[in-house]
Parts: sequence; C-alpha cells; structure tokens
Amino acid sequence: MRVLVVEDERKTAAFIRKALQTEGFAVDVCPNGEEAWAAARATPFDAMVLDIMLPGRDGLSLLRQLRQNQNSTPVLLLSARGEVNERVEGLNAGADDYLPKPFVIAELVARVRALGRRGAESRATILRVGNLTLDTITRQAQRAGSPIDLTVREYRLLEFLMRSPGRICGRMAILEKVWDYHFDPGSNLVDVNIMRLREKIDADYEPKLLHTVRGIGYLIKAPA
Amino acid sequence: MTIRARLTLWFATVLVAAMLAMALLSYYELVVEPRAQASAHPAPDAKEDPDEDGAGDVVDILAWCGLPALALGLGGGWWLMRRTLAPITALTRAAERINEHNLGERLPRSGNGDELDRLTEVFNAMTARLHDSFGRIREFTLHASHELKTPLTVMHGELETALQNGSLAPAQRNRLESELDEVQRLTRIVDGLTLLTRADAGQIALARDPVQLDELLREALADAQSLARPANIQVTLAPCDQVTVTGDRHRLRQLLLNLTDNAIKYNHRDGTVTLGLVRAGDSAQITIANTGPGIAPEMVPRLFDPFFRADSSHSQAVEGCGLGLTIARWIATAHGGTIQIRSSPGNVTTAVVTLPGVGDRKP
Repeated sequence: MRVLVVEDERKTAAFIRKALQTEGFAVDVCPNGEEAWAAARATPFDAMVLDIMLPGRDGLSLLRQLRQNQNSTPVLLLSARGEVNERVEGLNAGADDYLPKPFVIAELVARVRALGRRGAESRATILRVGNLTLDTITRQAQRAGSPIDLTVREYRLLEFLMRSPGRICGRMAILEKVWDYHFDPGSNLVDVNIMRLREKIDADYEPKLLHTVRGIGYLIKAPA
Repeated sequence: MTIRARLTLWFATVLVAAMLAMALLSYYELVVEPRAQASAHPAPDAKEDPDEDGAGDVVDILAWCGLPALALGLGGGWWLMRRTLAPITALTRAAERINEHNLGERLPRSGNGDELDRLTEVFNAMTARLHDSFGRIREFTLHASHELKTPLTVMHGELETALQNGSLAPAQRNRLESELDEVQRLTRIVDGLTLLTRADAGQIALARDPVQLDELLREALADAQSLARPANIQVTLAPCDQVTVTGDRHRLRQLLLNLTDNAIKYNHRDGTVTLGLVRAGDSAQITIANTGPGIAPEMVPRLFDPFFRADSSHSQAVEGCGLGLTIARWIATAHGGTIQIRSSPGNVTTAVVTLPGVGDRKP
C-alpha cells in the first residue's frame, strides 16, 4: 500500500512517515499543496494523509480539486483546529475521515489502514479471540463457553475491539464508534467501561485478553 | 430632577414672570394713566367707569394672549428639550446595554455638529476601540491555541514513538507515559479554550434539529451509571416527561455528560445522583441533583468561571480540564436556555438547566 502524506511541519511528517513505514506502507511526503497536487496526479496512491493548514494552497482546496478531477484516493484529513464544524466541512469536501491534532499515532495508522481496505471490512458474524467469542447477530458473548451479560455500550465496545484483534484502538476511535462523540467529552467514560468489561470477560479467566496501552488506547489479543 | 424638568420649570418661571410684568405694564397704561389724565383734564364724554373697563381689558389680554403664549412656550420648550436631550437618552440606554458581544453596534448620529453629536461620535469611537481590543484578544487566543497544537502534536508523536521501543526500562517507560498523560491534559485544556473562544466569537454554528430530551437523558443515565460504579454511587432517574426541543444533539449530550460527570466527581462515595426532566409550558427543565458536600453560597456564582474550583483541596484529587461547567453554560445559553446551580453546604446540590422551544411530538 502506498500512502501520500501532505504535511508541512517537518517533525510531524517525520513521525507519521516512520509509523506508516513500520506498518509496512510505502510513504511519500509532500510539504505543500502544489507538490502534493503534482504527486497525486503522477502516481495512483492507495491513501492520502492531508493536513488542512498548508503553506500556499490549503488542504481543503486541494481535496476539492482532486475530487473535481475524478481522483477518488481515500483521504484522511488532519487539522489543528479540531472542531465539529470543520469535520463536517472536510467530509463534505470529499474526505473519507478526519483526525484532530494532536492525535495518537496508533489511531492515525489504524485509520489509514481502514482507508486502504475500504469496503473489504470483515463481515464475520462470529468474532473470536482466544476462547472469547462474540456473536454479532444474537449479540451474545461467551468466554470458555459461559455466557456473559453485556450492556449495550459494553457490547458495542467489545465488538469494536474484536473487529481488529491485536491492534491498538485509540480512545478517540472508541469514542467515535461506540459513543458517537466526535470530540473529547472530557470524561473517563471509555476507561470505566473498559474496566467493567474487563471484570466481565477477564477477571475469572486466564489468559487475560483485554490490554491497556497507557495514554494511547486498548487492544484485545490472545497470547501467541 | 432631570435636566429636562429643571429647564422646563425655568421656562415656566420666566414666562410667568414675563406675563406678570406684561399685566402690570398694561394695567398701568390702561387704567392708571387714563385715570390720571382724566382727573387732570376731566373730559365730559369720559364718564363711563374707566376702572372697571381697564381692568377687564388687562384680564382679556392675559387670557387671550398670555395663556396661549405660556402654553406654547411650555409645550415648545418641553418638545425642544426632548429633541435636544434624545441623544443623551440614547447614549444612556446604549451604555446600559453594552457588553463584550455588542460592541460592534454604533449609535446613530444627528449629524448637526452640535455638542451632543460630538459626544455620540466620541462614544462610538470608544466602543469601536473596545471592539477592536476584544477582537484582538479573541484572535490572539485562537492563534495561540492553534499554535500550541503544533508542538503538542510533535511531543505526543515523539513520546508515542519512543514508547514503542520494546527495550525500555520500566522506570523510563513510566516517565514517558506520565509525560504523555500531561501532554494529553494540556491538549484538553487547549481544546476547551479554543471551543470557548470560538463560541465567544460566535463562530460555532449549532444544529437546529428536533432532539428528544428524554431519550438523551436515558442515554446519559446509562453513561452516568457506568461512571458512578467505581465510587459506588447510585444514579437514578426521577420523573422524566417526554420532551422534544430544537437544538444540537451532540452539544446537548455533551452538556448532560459534563453535568452528570461533575455530579459524580464531586459526590461522596456511596452517594446518589438523581436526574429529572419535566416540561413546564414552553420549556424543558432538566435537574441533576447530587449528594456531594455542597457549595458555599458565595462560591456558587463563580462555579461557571473557567478553571474555578470551589474546593481547592479537591483540585488534585478530581481530574478534568476545569472548563466543563463553562462549556455547559455556553451550550445552555447557545440554546437560548439557562443553567443554575442550587447548593449550600451539607445540602443536596442541584444543577438546573432550562431549555426553551419545546415542540409537540408527533404521536
């Protein structure tokens, strides 16, 4: 997968590049809109990470021009302003996703990966991690064969984590997908629900499946 | 006594004095003088009663000329005063009304170049300067929060990258993680300030959709129950009417979460939180009551100030960016509503949100 990163801030561009390369992506970096426009026309990218604030032509106008030229490369917008209005504006201009700065890199990587496999999301109805299973039709969770009662939120949280086993799910993504909050509500909702979920699926069992990555997010995985 | 009343009184006194002078003069001319002449040269035809006749003339003159002149003078003076003083009245009203949000308004000038026109001009110039300064402060805060995001992004990214190194010693890891926590706290503060500054500048557009408040409250109840579990606080729903208002669903959710979160954070262990929603005429009233220690009455009005904490000893124990209630108040007022906190030490603390514009829900 080949990704174009359009970011003028040198250090930010550097760690985004490093993280995406670690993930196994080929990464090109452009520091401004004009170069990005030329690069996007010359090479078919699988995804693009586009900062809104760029010297010269800004990210949104570049995005609009790409879409007018029938370029449908999936775009993840980055913005230092981080407002609900701006997010809506970005999505209307043709962006596929939006991430406010400062972001968790794991979050950015997960989103770029999701852009690349757009439409190819797992359709499995039975999710399985170790001896934990989740039936997405009956909404029934079982650990080692014993059923577990979950609230609606806990179910959605578990399903979200189990859709990408072994990968870190950032707090931001969890808030978006499970609570439909597109801004930080400034509360430890995610943490208390994870705590409760952990009591239900992990407390009485070994090995532990639900892990905390402090300051970043959570992941569910079975030991190798 | 107003200037207008004083000047009118002055007019009246002058007019009455003038009338009396006129009456005396007429009396002298018409009665005293002819009588003196008559006694000097008694004319045979002037036999009628000059005394009676002359005095009658004076009364006639006063009644037909003096009184209308008095009325005209007073009425005209009153009207002229009103016209002249109108700019002062307008200035007074404007000064009373003025606050940081309507500094852009200008008072209309008469344009006749008199002293009051000049005063209006100076007043307008002053509010224009204030408007500019407020605008610059707002601009500065917006730029500052935007500029802060760039280094925060770099710090966050680099700390996270560093943490990915699997060979970190536990102590090192711990330090990096704690730094990451602080970067995130700083980010929340910057985000909150940006939101409030933009809201202040009227740059945040709210959605105007029908929102079912009772449904939102039930959702908030579920979230509050999960937040309250670690401290063993009971969260219950008191009467909950079916109410639909026009507003921004996301912001109203944020409002409820901020208030329930506060009700839990500042509560005792094993305490209770009670949510309620009633319809009162055209408005909806949401109440969130908690059994916390209560707040001293003099502290209550300041609770909505940014970074204000009623109990300074609490500040370390309770996390949060210190802007929750300020944001909650903005959301309530942006919906045309109000927010109040009723509390006293040792009593139940209740946050009351009143939102207008209740619509009738289609069955």
